[in-house]
Amino acid sequence: MRRVPLIFGLVAVGFVVVAALLALVWTPYDPAVIDPVHRLGGPGWPHVLGTDTFGRDIASRLMAGSRTCLLVGIVAVAFASAFGIPLGMLAGMTHGVVSRVVLRATDLLYAFPAILVAMLLAAAFGGSSLTGTLAIGIATVPVFTRVARAGTLSVMSQDYIWAARGSGISWASIAVRHVWPNIAPLIGVQASVSFGMAILAEASLSYLGLATPPTTPTWGRMLYDAQAQLFNAPLLTLWPAAAIVVAVMGFNVLGDALRDLLDPRLREVS
Amino acid sequence: MGRRHGWKLFTPIAALLAAMALLTLAGCSNTGDPGGSASASSLVVGASLEPTGLDITTTDGAGGPQALLYNVYETLVKINGVGNLVGLLATDWTVSPDGTTYTFSLQPHATFANGDPITAQAVVDSLNHIRTNPSTTATIKAQLAIVTDAVATSRSTVQVTLRHRSHFWLYNMAGPAGIVIDPKGFSTLGTATAGSGPYVFKAWNKGDSVTLARNTNYWGNEAHFGSVTFKYFADPNAMTTAMKAGDINIISDLTTPSALGQFSDTSKYTVVKGTSNGEVVMGFNHDSAPLKKLKVRQAIIYAVDRKALLDSVWGGQGTLIGSMVPPTDPYYENLAGYYPYDPAKAKELLKEAGYGKGLTLSMPVPNLSYATASAQFVAAQLKQVGITVKVQQQDFSTWISQVFQKGDYDLTVVNHVEPKDIVKWADKNYYWHYDNPEFNLLIAEADQAPTDAEFISYMKQAAEILTTDAAGDFLFLFPHIAICDSSISGITANEVTSSFDLTTLASRNN
Repeated sequence: MRRVPLIFGLVAVGFVVVAALLALVWTPYDPAVIDPVHRLGGPGWPHVLGTDTFGRDIASRLMAGSRTCLLVGIVAVAFASAFGIPLGMLAGMTHGVVSRVVLRATDLLYAFPAILVAMLLAAAFGGSSLTGTLAIGIATVPVFTRVARAGTLSVMSQDYIWAARGSGISWASIAVRHVWPNIAPLIGVQASVSFGMAILAEASLSYLGLATPPTTPTWGRMLYDAQAQLFNAPLLTLWPAAAIVVAVMGFNVLGDALRDLLDPRLREVS
Repeated sequence: MGRRHGWKLFTPIAALLAAMALLTLAGCSNTGDPGGSASASSLVVGASLEPTGLDITTTDGAGGPQALLYNVYETLVKINGVGNLVGLLATDWTVSPDGTTYTFSLQPHATFANGDPITAQAVVDSLNHIRTNPSTTATIKAQLAIVTDAVATSRSTVQVTLRHRSHFWLYNMAGPAGIVIDPKGFSTLGTATAGSGPYVFKAWNKGDSVTLARNTNYWGNEAHFGSVTFKYFADPNAMTTAMKAGDINIISDLTTPSALGQFSDTSKYTVVKGTSNGEVVMGFNHDSAPLKKLKVRQAIIYAVDRKALLDSVWGGQGTLIGSMVPPTDPYYENLAGYYPYDPAKAKELLKEAGYGKGLTLSMPVPNLSYATASAQFVAAQLKQVGITVKVQQQDFSTWISQVFQKGDYDLTVVNHVEPKDIVKWADKNYYWHYDNPEFNLLIAEADQAPTDAEFISYMKQAAEILTTDAAGDFLFLFPHIAICDSSISGITANEVTSSFDLTTLASRNN
């Protein structure tokens, strides 16, 4: 019973990852080629999920879209971790001015939603996948800072840290040898949750035209294009929406299940 | 799975549902107050562009004239449903043989909404106010720059003198440039209207609606409806839903043609289809090196299947035009077949122009559904002939600054909605940077032509030049699709002016 979320998460995430990897080498059709004669075809054969308003194969576009969304998720989470974790550890291991400055800066950044950052970047550099990904990454930094700081604080109060400091081990060494291994599982869980959020954010930004250009297939862009056909071809909206649900839920549930698995205290009570 | 899991699962699902609801229903939050039905002599019109101000001579945008022109403000002459000029506040007018002096005879009984008579002096004061007001929009200033003098020669005759003969001037006077404003209201035009039309402005609920009420002092036939509300929808799907729910009586312009199927029940709805003034133009930047070459421009036009584009982008609703002229203009000529879809010919032309190995062009487009959809279609088809198009979607203000003002683009797509906007091609500073002396000369000659027949002949030649010279790719003409509940009649099929003319409407119920 306890394994159900884990299996569900793994299957959903695995499905998206396999689709993305497969799309690197093969899709049933070229996702960009239009075929106006066969536009708005329903599900069937040879177009398994049908065709969109330009006659493009929906299944191929979903596969190509998973590529974009995974890439955005990976880069955004990596960016957020790269800046957020060291800052969080710094804030957790120091007291006074440094810690306070980091925390206030984090609060400030937390107040900016990804969409606002995306609009700023799009206005300055023109909207692209890169600006969209960066915006999501920047907006996610505070999440990692807070999680890393909370984890660091609890580690720092342990006796072995006092012992390490007493024996003259450097701060950097303590951070790498004692703090990081203890907070890593926590960060891993946060990463999988943030990954789901990043996919959702990318879909929203593409839908608003702030990120990926119209010619690159993404799930958010597919939703935007489907909107004009909401009444006469509702399935066009359903497919990308379902893909977003599966991917976001998958990563969230997986993150949840991983925490249960990795946290020994939770294992004891259940 | 414990209680904690239930909660944790719920959060992402709720967030997701909320996000999806926002995505698909964005903009429908303003539907709190249902407008009521056509009974009790009130009418609710669904529209998409809210006015930017009440004074339509000092504010741009299509929303103001749509609600106020001919309904609240009247002009000396108006354009009727088939594109001809007819008298409104003027019963009659004569033009001197050299075409520079217009003499208008006024309706003897016409009055402003406050009951004051419309004297010749009031008409002159109004025209002079619009000409000289520093806040008047650049478009209207340009339209009236040709006027040298206006005088009241008697209590009911006005004489206007022009610098030179002009065929466009009287048409412009049928729009916002020619409205007759009560001189007593000059100082308060931003907050109250001062017109002479069958309706008066009553309320503006910003972000939601503009309400007009019957003008009880109207000098002509009393208005049919006691009150008319223009209700604004940012999202076209929300507008069709409101129509289905009976919250509005009319969709003034359906912008999701795919929704037409929902209104096929003729016992409940009347669908009126016609043409508009909106030419969807794929603009070429004539300052961009590859696009300076005629063969490249022609190749692009040959490579795009406009019939299939119209089917894909706008559900096949609309008209293929081939030049910058809608069928309601007197100088219209069907040029849609001049460049048939022929990718092989396109490749050949590119090769002759020296781009046999390919070509990369930028294509920033505004964040509007017809523009982004057209761009995707064009990019896919141009790829087939070896042109790589880098499409970029921009919010409208970014597009205005980068493309429209700075001219930093190769290709773009936008809908040109102003009447008779073919003359914009004669301005080399306009964002296309098109500069063809032959075309400019024809437009100038047409404007100053002594007879209508010559005017039409020159304009036809000008329109043909745009086609043969491949000045732009005229993708399609927007359809004008209006939907009203079946009790309402009299909607004009073709959209030839910027006004939503309420004076032709009637309802069976009251």
